[in-house]
Amino acid sequence: MTGSGAELIRQMVAGDREAFARFYDRYAPLVFPLIQRILRERADASDVLQEVFWEAWQGAAGYDPARGSPEAWLVTRARTRAIDRIRAMRRRSETFVAPLHDALAAAPADPGGDVAERTEDRRTVQHALAQLPSAQREVIELAYYAGLTQTEIAERLKQPLGTVKTRIRLALERLREVVRPTT
Amino acid sequence: MNHEPFDTLAAAYALGALDGEELVEFEAHLAQECARCAVTLRESYEALAALARSAPPAVPPPEVKQALLSRIAAVAPTASPRRERGRGSLPWIAGAAAAAIVAAAFTGAFVAGHYEARLGQTARELTATRQRLEREIAALNDQLAAYRSAADLLRDPATRVVTLRGLGPSPGATGWVIWHQTVGGQLFVANLPPPPPSKTYELWTIGEGAPRPAGVFRVDAEGRATHRVEPVEGGKPVKVFAVTLEPEGGVPAPTGPMVLASAK
Repeated sequence: MTGSGAELIRQMVAGDREAFARFYDRYAPLVFPLIQRILRERADASDVLQEVFWEAWQGAAGYDPARGSPEAWLVTRARTRAIDRIRAMRRRSETFVAPLHDALAAAPADPGGDVAERTEDRRTVQHALAQLPSAQREVIELAYYAGLTQTEIAERLKQPLGTVKTRIRLALERLREVVRPTT
Repeated sequence: MNHEPFDTLAAAYALGALDGEELVEFEAHLAQECARCAVTLRESYEALAALARSAPPAVPPPEVKQALLSRIAAVAPTASPRRERGRGSLPWIAGAAAAAIVAAAFTGAFVAGHYEARLGQTARELTATRQRLEREIAALNDQLAAYRSAADLLRDPATRVVTLRGLGPSPGATGWVIWHQTVGGQLFVANLPPPPPSKTYELWTIGEGAPRPAGVFRVDAEGRATHRVEPVEGGKPVKVFAVTLEPEGGVPAPTGPMVLASAK
């Protein structure tokens, strides 16, 4: 594959559609499973996928390599859009609970080798997630996949808000530790 | 000040799990460009991005790529430089909006605390106090809605931020309008003294022809105001925003002194 993600984004700023196609091919296989996992419905996930990459094309000039990797830039956007949508759905229908149950299930299995660029770091992160105390993993998954806020998590788990906040902080400290660049 | 509480807020923020007043508080803190939180957030986003790999595999629908490529081909690629330039002014204005939200939240907390104490004193006052509290909250919610709509507007590349400077009687006043030609926008004012009795401030939009009235607004005791500005009929462009002092209730054409105006 030619060009780093950051280089592709630079070319996209210059209006290079070919670079966008390569950018899509590289990152859609990473982002789509996440969106699908959050939204469950393939039609909704397709909408959000398109929205996310459209915004990436339009907002490419706003990408700053000093502030994070292209992957973090795109995944953060994808999560935000998917979770915005799921929260809107939940507001419309109190019965929309499937993702909550799914999020409460055990940590998802490793998807295998069909996703591009599986680095050691990422395997380590998955391992780190699996190694978290289950109470910490639970709050991360409720927020990450079901889009619950800390207050909603506290209500759902019938735990004090302070406990939930501490769990989130500790879990993220651990996950950051694992991916922190060694430079 | 001890930074540790912000470390906790930063983790929940990165995860998208922060809500309520803490979200407001943390965004105000971020608006002060805290370097420590910037690092925490950057590392958290990287870690959370890596977690995406733990989602069960799913193949992206091929029609999405096709749709995107046709959409891109249909749009002339000339918009980029303008977008870049507009971006520079956003963090400042977002910070100011966030700070204003915090101020509103603190006012709300104070008002709530005050009334809660009275509730304890006399059961008789319970109902009336609750109703007042609800009205205060409704007013604060309206204010919050104004800031939210401003934040939404800021995401649109066609949105401009126009600065208004104090003139004549109120040189220390400042204002800005977050303005979208077809959607309208929000006016924010600071340091504008409350108007004399039976007078009010009125906003004007000036484009082609005579100034158009854009509503009267109230200034609070601290000299602040927020005011929703409707788009001009037919989405016509606005060159200048101006505020004048007018008889109470407002007038169809400006008569009083100009207290705030944007540059031409």
